[in-house]
Amino acid sequence: MSTDVKKSWLASRLPCPAKETGNCAPTLERGAPYLARLPALITGAALLLLASGFVLAVYYNPDHGFASIQFIARNVNSGWLIQGFHATGATMLFAAVYLLLFRDIYRRAYTAPGELVWLLRVKLFALLLLVGWLGYALSDGAVAYWSLTDAANAATGLGGAAGVVGRWFFGGPNGAGTLARLEVFHAVLALAVLGTLGAHRCATRALARQAKPKHPVSCHPYYTAQTFAAFAVFALIFAVLMFFAPHYGLNPLNRAAADSLIIPAVLSPPWYLAPVSAVASVFSTTLGSIFGVIAMLAVLAALPWLDRSSPAGKRGLVYRLLMGLLLLDVIGLGWSVSDPACTISGSLTVFFTIWYFFHFLVLTPLVTALEAK
Amino acid sequence: MAGTSEHAMEHGGESRRDFLKILTVASGAVGAGAVIWPFIDALGPDADGAAAAHLIVNVAGIPENSAITVTWAGLPIYIRKLTAQQIADTKAVVTSTLVDPASFNSRVKPGYESFVVVVGLNTGSPCALEGNAPADPRGPFDGWLSPCDGSVYDPLGRVRGGPSTKNLVIPRFKFINDAQIQFG
Amino acid sequence: MRRLFAPLLAAGLLFSAAAHAEDTLTPLHWQSQGSFGSFDKAAVQRGFLVYQSACASCHSASALHYRDLEALGFSPEQAAGIAASVKLANGAPATLDDTFKPAAVPASAFGGALPPDLSTIESARPHGLDYVYNLLTGYTAAPASVTLLPGRFYNTGYPGQQIAMPQPLKGNDVVYADGTAATLPQEASDVSAFLAWSADPNLDERHEIGVRAVLFLLFLSIIAIATKRKIWRETA
Repeated sequence: MSTDVKKSWLASRLPCPAKETGNCAPTLERGAPYLARLPALITGAALLLLASGFVLAVYYNPDHGFASIQFIARNVNSGWLIQGFHATGATMLFAAVYLLLFRDIYRRAYTAPGELVWLLRVKLFALLLLVGWLGYALSDGAVAYWSLTDAANAATGLGGAAGVVGRWFFGGPNGAGTLARLEVFHAVLALAVLGTLGAHRCATRALARQAKPKHPVSCHPYYTAQTFAAFAVFALIFAVLMFFAPHYGLNPLNRAAADSLIIPAVLSPPWYLAPVSAVASVFSTTLGSIFGVIAMLAVLAALPWLDRSSPAGKRGLVYRLLMGLLLLDVIGLGWSVSDPACTISGSLTVFFTIWYFFHFLVLTPLVTALEAK
Repeated sequence: MAGTSEHAMEHGGESRRDFLKILTVASGAVGAGAVIWPFIDALGPDADGAAAAHLIVNVAGIPENSAITVTWAGLPIYIRKLTAQQIADTKAVVTSTLVDPASFNSRVKPGYESFVVVVGLNTGSPCALEGNAPADPRGPFDGWLSPCDGSVYDPLGRVRGGPSTKNLVIPRFKFINDAQIQFG
Repeated sequence: MRRLFAPLLAAGLLFSAAAHAEDTLTPLHWQSQGSFGSFDKAAVQRGFLVYQSACASCHSASALHYRDLEALGFSPEQAAGIAASVKLANGAPATLDDTFKPAAVPASAFGGALPPDLSTIESARPHGLDYVYNLLTGYTAAPASVTLLPGRFYNTGYPGQQIAMPQPLKGNDVVYADGTAATLPQEASDVSAFLAWSADPNLDERHEIGVRAVLFLLFLSIIAIATKRKIWRETA
């Protein structure tokens, strides 16, 4: 009785929570796999990054980026744990996003009426790449410093409108004050990630309401139990990485302080930026690299329209084979820039980049059109 | 749970599920608490901040009738060692005649009566007091003098004249041994 | 969980107390390496002694404070004593809250390049533990085919083999309180262990909490999956 009164008091003034409870009506299909809970895991990881990022921002000093991170790890209570949450959180978040995108492509989930959800996921990925690179630059390690210096100096040296944007973003070549502005951009764009996740949540709920499940179940307790279990396993993998392999997929040389006179021998980015970094490295000019990265994301966004088969069409054998090749291709892209000792990796990067665009721009329309018949 | 009880096949299964469910939820709460704690812990003072908040000052080297200035919590702290004459003089003052009555014992730490530790800011119009450096004028009561409004203080930091009506503030500190005082 | 860990921890302490008797030099190995590694406190303490008497006069380690020494098993009084024996640039004795910095020596005294800060040197070099050990034990006479640059010394452990640092350790540079013989390899491995701690002081705590966290999450994952399966089976 009293809770009903409270509810209506709140619902009449703030209508959103009432809608939310309505969503737990039995509209969900029974038997969805654990991987369908990836968006929830991504949101959870993003919130953990936001919370740990808030604590790090309290202590981070952009004038002495590397030293202040050392200070956090050594002199702040539980500072090393918070920093671990943030660093491993980035790895786990990107792993979940890569897995989500790949699963969507494999399942052709981007076809109507799922285009908007797919576009929001590509947007999320694009934003995360930017936020992730900014966070990497803020680490101010020996490798990140040179990544930032190269990017800032190249972007500010551009002519025309691109140069205007570059100078606006970096405020001139890398120097005093660059990290301070990147810290603000990192935080603000992280909030944009949260906004995108919110829009994505609305869009997936709208999609779920359209679906007519054969065996409808309510989200509680069925899906809360599944989400909880998914979170437990996610946290287990998280803990194994964070406590026992905290630098997995990261360049070990970045654990040293930056030196403006010494360029580290291996300038490989963190694993989650590696495929994009590889595509950027194929082009010899700054504008070319920017174009490459934008094109890489644009073909993903265009996927609903590149796929020529009907939305309900089945995945054929060739399509599934191509998906395996795409997976290898993206792994190869990342690998080819993390091992510069390998002399053929430069030409491999070019090959993998060509295959990536060939896959989306030629093979996908061709194979889906053929298999739709 | 109540909503699904009609689906339960038997009483035993139901209670076993209940136990498992309670265990899962409770364990999850423990885990969430363990994750949240570092965030609360991390926002407490860091090691440098904690050290600065509990500044330790060596006072053994201060000669009689002279003072040092240290900065603690963003405030100028004046530490003066009194002479026997100053102690006798300030003890002799009838407390009730003062603007802001305070006894000798309320201005010093028992056992360390020759040390006066005060915040060196005038209590009227705020500015740093003169009288700590050897060359400074100390005013008619041999204490401190405000260059802004002319308020005068005695060696215990009690206001003795001028527009100010409050004695100098005594910061939080304690003697950890004969030679060192610790703030905070 | 605690009941399980007390004996484990006690066993760990026993091992670390007995560690100085154990030969870690033939073959060379490091207790802190590997996913479950932990620092050999006795070796790290000895390494600090070597650092303080042989390295600290030229190299800073500005991420370290003297108060951090308490984590190595020094008592607060011992740490304060160590700090007080160090003179800061202004001549005053250091306190627990000062960082490891040598008295200001201009770069010109080192031929133009300041010796690197050692706080994270073992993170900055691939295989840092071995790197420092090989560097400190790598001084030999230059082969006849090599012409040394002026002010350089031949070192087989240094990239390019010509290093500006004169041989810092020669054996018996310190006297160990625990009776360990201060041979050159022993001193080099101890200081290497100390610099590993300096580069990653949270390693012990990370591994200790990590084991507990992983065991707990394993348990949580199992019961969460069991709960989910039970709930879902009932809708069948």
